[in-house]
Amino acid sequence: MVSQSTAISRAAEIAKISRTFDFILLIPILLVIIGTYHLSMILTVGDWDFWLDWKDRQWWPIVTPLMGISFPAAIQYGLWKHLRLPIGATVCTVCLLLGMAITRWFAYHLWTNYPINLVLPATLIPGALLLDFVLLTSRSFFVTAILGGMLFAAVFYPANWAIFAPFHQPVEYNGSLMTLADVSGYSYIRPGVPEYLRIIERGVLRTYDTYATPLSAFCAAVLAVPLYALWSYIGKLFSTTRFIDKF
Amino acid sequence: MSTQTSEIKAILSTSPSPYWYLRDGYKYLLALFAVCAMYVGIRLYQGAYAMDTGLDSTMPIFDVYWRRLFYIEITFEVIFVIAVASYLWLTRDKHMQALSIREEITRYFTFIMWGGVYGMAVYWAGSYFGEQDNAWHQAAVRDTPFTPNHIVVFYLGFPLYTILGMGLWLYARTRLPLYEKKISVPLTLAVVGPFMLLPSVGYNEWGHTFWFREELFASPVHYGFVISVWFALALEGTILQIIARMSVLLDKFALENQ
Repeated sequence: MVSQSTAISRAAEIAKISRTFDFILLIPILLVIIGTYHLSMILTVGDWDFWLDWKDRQWWPIVTPLMGISFPAAIQYGLWKHLRLPIGATVCTVCLLLGMAITRWFAYHLWTNYPINLVLPATLIPGALLLDFVLLTSRSFFVTAILGGMLFAAVFYPANWAIFAPFHQPVEYNGSLMTLADVSGYSYIRPGVPEYLRIIERGVLRTYDTYATPLSAFCAAVLAVPLYALWSYIGKLFSTTRFIDKF
Repeated sequence: MSTQTSEIKAILSTSPSPYWYLRDGYKYLLALFAVCAMYVGIRLYQGAYAMDTGLDSTMPIFDVYWRRLFYIEITFEVIFVIAVASYLWLTRDKHMQALSIREEITRYFTFIMWGGVYGMAVYWAGSYFGEQDNAWHQAAVRDTPFTPNHIVVFYLGFPLYTILGMGLWLYARTRLPLYEKKISVPLTLAVVGPFMLLPSVGYNEWGHTFWFREELFASPVHYGFVISVWFALALEGTILQIIARMSVLLDKFALENQ
């Protein structure tokens, strides 16, 4: 009876150790995801996410989800394949938004005095929720690549529409028609990205008038499928547990 | 029943503290606090002096407020890297095969805590100061590679997490039997990849000096950083190695004293 009690006490202790270990393990995981995914995004999406007046109908809905699917797909692979946790994409995008929101407020707004509206970050969370949902329900990376990858990119623009639509209202300024976002951009000079570097609304796609955005979203959705597959494979490569004997 | 209770109490009283595996918990919290306090302090310093003294690198006051900070950082890093490497190597475990299960479990906790401090340093360098660099470039025309934010992100942020990453690798090598004889591919990639951001600074500054001055963040002069940071994904493999080993250790711990 005593040894049974000891065994129970030992089992409880092991459960406690295991849970404490999981909790402590979360801290480096989340911090490294914030630090690295955020850095990857600012150096690939960069100004399309930094500035309100870069969030156009053509490039922003393509560049952001296509670059943004990288870490979610790779982390999702590892967490699902080895730990059966269908939360990889959502965790990544929440970390990303947290990292971006902190910096936008404390760096752009409080240090260099840009209005927070000009530097609002976009969110990838709705697409990531769908990506995880498709994986959870289909239990297939193949289906997730096709359906989840497409949804991740396709919902990006509509999911952010409620946040940024007010700034796309037309306004006449000094005799020219532009958006409120453009006026905000012209009002706050940015020597690092002068106007001649603002890559928005370029190319013949704008001749499609109101179809420009759906076409961009659809294009992003199609391209997100192979990119999801590629990043899943990269996630697989980095999930290796190999050891080597020497360098 | 009372006899059983007293016996269990007796067993527990002879056991170490109920949180024996968190032996380095206080040091961990202290280290996290130290990293955060240092970076918050630096951010406040930037807020107080960057606009007044950091806009023109040819002014004598720039030397006082910013180049002096740069020299302090470099001195600190040299001392810190020597201290960390020396400490870990000189106090290495030379009898790892005789390691008790409890001790190994405790060391895994410490290893993860070290990873937490590394993660905190990665966060400040890669996320906060990494993007804050763009905020500064949009507010001031650059006339030097040593701007008030570069001095922090490139010459403190990146080296600091590199040193902590090296420490993480060395800790595993010198204290954990799993990593004693063989070299873990994912752990090495997870540490060496982000370290490569440091040499990428050279490519970046070369690009901005001879190619174009503007700070389009998605431009190819920054791709060195991007590719390097992707290697942090090897954290996945490292965690799988750790979880697998902890699982074995906890099974052994359950069987111990039965």
